[in-house]
Amino acid sequence: MLFNSLHFLVFFPLVVGLYYGLPPRWRGALLLLASYYFYMSWRADYALLLLATTALDYYSGLRMSRLPDKHQRRPWLALSLVSNLGTLFIFKYFSFFRDAAVALGGALHLPVGAGPALGLLLPVGVSFYTFQSVGYIIDVYQGRLAAEQNFGRFALFVAFFPQLVAGPIERGGHMLPQFRRAHAFGYGRIVSGLRLMAWGLFKKVVVADRLALFVNPVFNNPRQHPEGPLLVLATLAFTFQIYGDFSGYTDLARGAARVLGFDFNLNFRQPYQSASVPEFWRRWHISLSSWFRDYVYIPLGGSRVGPARAYRNLLAVFLISGLWHGANFTFIIWGGLHGLYLVLSTWARPVRAWLAQRTGLAAHPGLRRGLGVLVTFGLVAYAWIFFRANTLDDALFISRHLLTGWHLNSHQAATLLLDFSQHYRPELAVATFAVALMLAVEYAGSRHAPQVWVAAQPWPTRWTGYVGLALLILYLGIFNSTSFIYFQF
Amino acid sequence: MTVPDGVLKLLLRLLLLAVAGVLGAALLLPVVLRGGVDAFYGRFASPAAGSLVLGTSRAAQGIRPAVLTARLDGQFEGPLLNYAFTLTHSPYGPAYLASIRRKLRPEVRHGLFIVAVDPWSLSAAGRADTVVREVFPEEKSFIGQLREVSQSPNLAYLSRYQTKPLYRLPLDFATATERLHPDGWLEVNIGVGSAQVRARTARKLLDYQKLAATQHLAAGRLAALRHTIEFLQPHGRVVLVRLPVGAGLLALEQQYQPGFDGQMRQLAAGFAVPYFDYSTAPYATTDGNHLQKAASEAFSQQLAADLAR
Repeated sequence: MLFNSLHFLVFFPLVVGLYYGLPPRWRGALLLLASYYFYMSWRADYALLLLATTALDYYSGLRMSRLPDKHQRRPWLALSLVSNLGTLFIFKYFSFFRDAAVALGGALHLPVGAGPALGLLLPVGVSFYTFQSVGYIIDVYQGRLAAEQNFGRFALFVAFFPQLVAGPIERGGHMLPQFRRAHAFGYGRIVSGLRLMAWGLFKKVVVADRLALFVNPVFNNPRQHPEGPLLVLATLAFTFQIYGDFSGYTDLARGAARVLGFDFNLNFRQPYQSASVPEFWRRWHISLSSWFRDYVYIPLGGSRVGPARAYRNLLAVFLISGLWHGANFTFIIWGGLHGLYLVLSTWARPVRAWLAQRTGLAAHPGLRRGLGVLVTFGLVAYAWIFFRANTLDDALFISRHLLTGWHLNSHQAATLLLDFSQHYRPELAVATFAVALMLAVEYAGSRHAPQVWVAAQPWPTRWTGYVGLALLILYLGIFNSTSFIYFQF
Repeated sequence: MTVPDGVLKLLLRLLLLAVAGVLGAALLLPVVLRGGVDAFYGRFASPAAGSLVLGTSRAAQGIRPAVLTARLDGQFEGPLLNYAFTLTHSPYGPAYLASIRRKLRPEVRHGLFIVAVDPWSLSAAGRADTVVREVFPEEKSFIGQLREVSQSPNLAYLSRYQTKPLYRLPLDFATATERLHPDGWLEVNIGVGSAQVRARTARKLLDYQKLAATQHLAAGRLAALRHTIEFLQPHGRVVLVRLPVGAGLLALEQQYQPGFDGQMRQLAAGFAVPYFDYSTAPYATTDGNHLQKAASEAFSQQLAADLAR
């Protein structure tokens, strides 16, 4: 079930109505049922997989909580990790590694057989709920979190429908206490949640799905569009599409949770305002980057080791992060590029400071930051090419042709005009307006607390905003998209 | 049971917002009622027809019922509706035939039925030597799925097949890049400068070269064409027409199906219906495939004159 579907438009009010109508002791059961229904509306039998891994994690957590030291808890940790990561491997990575092994074997003239093809459909959201469960189990193992004793509550923590299929990846320490509390109907909180949902819907159906009109034809067939201007336009469009799509999804998820009385962690903080790649990763998909920081980077030694090992740790984390996004070399290169950006950024910090002194930029922090934002945006946008391209070949083709074809002959110009004449021209105008509006609102949001600001406005201003946003979604929205980009992970 | 504070307030405000949304959407009603939804909707919002133009986008843009009606007034039962869509939606097949059956008034006996043919509208995916079972993808489109084809407003079509963002409805209606006339003729207003036409023609030729390499003349589609003629004959006069195209596309069609013309002549003779072949006639196109607006007027005049003979 998609947040931008008619199905959800019926499902969500029904769940909210029942939730606040029921006595508090039944609400958890209702949310659990609703969450499994939400998941099963995609594919019913995979709910059993979710239930099985949930049961195993619950039991492992319970057993670990009764054991006094880490050494005794380790087998249960191992069992849980093997079951979670094994599921992820079988469903998501098996074919990729099998094909890679066959290709490598072929290149080295080794007799490597293809082995069985599992042909399994990737369970939607598996990367998200697996990481959430793994985080819980490590926290229990480390003694940072008491194991949840109530199975229903734990199952709800794993399957809670607003964040089940695409995050944010929440921590047990943050969510489980919320599931234990009764949440009374709160008018202000519900309105604030609905506002967030409306804004998320705007970002999804007006911004992201419209930008897809420019992105998909080019990235799905780059050799038919070898002109640099089109490739740059499609890359820029994807840069904003993925932000609109994923942060829009997150706003919808956070808004839906807020309506039900729950608080999710922030997942995005205006990432394209970052003045460096490290800053970008403190603002983009925060729940995932903090997960990698806490459960991979720091256990590897983090930055408290020598520079060479710290760089190796950074690269390793980003390569794994790339692989987490998808079983494809394009994602690994994307992760590797970001790892490289971070290593270079850390390594070159003294050089950049020296350059800033020499050029006088150090005396103009605003200008220096502006330049940093531009450079970071360029680097991030370039890396998105690898993230979006269907194959590594396509990504390399696009990379090679970004700067070619800027001097168009009349035939090329006519072809480009042709592409944009009927269908794309109005859509490009709307897309530009929508992206500008999204950036302006989010920029303002970074300066003030947006919900507080909205609530403080006189009612005519607020209602003009509400009706305006509703009409923008109604008139400019594209409602025939079938998914959110991050559902595939 | 007590209602918590704020529930009624919330419901009332949500209702107000919904009313604002409905009122906002209602602004589009004049456009919808005038059929200005997309290049197809008007054909499903018009009353059942007495005479039909059938085929794909070539016929949709190239044959103007108004011109034929003016010239042949009183010689056939009206209204004459251009019920041709696109190659994706209305190649000859069981789905298109079923839709034609729904659109035609059952009591018609003196209708005029212009059946536009070309190799593409009788082809299906796959190479002839490898295809095991012919697949007709249009069965999953509105042609195959829409049961009610003469209803205004056609809510079934609007809710399932109208995919444009709503702002495009009045915009497209006002700018009229594509305007579907009440008689089903699709008026297309795009640049006809020589560079633009050359670029479009090159692109179109490339598309059709790919089609030629991946399709075959389908026995199922030819059978459906025969069934269509069989169905139409008791309702009036049936005429097979091959529309003018650019030289490049015509050469490709002859290379793809060299015997097509002979096959159509044979088919027409078998049913004792006329076959008019205008494929080499020199009419200007926008892309080598579709007639320009002025050319569609001239061509429709010529077709009317030939029908009047």
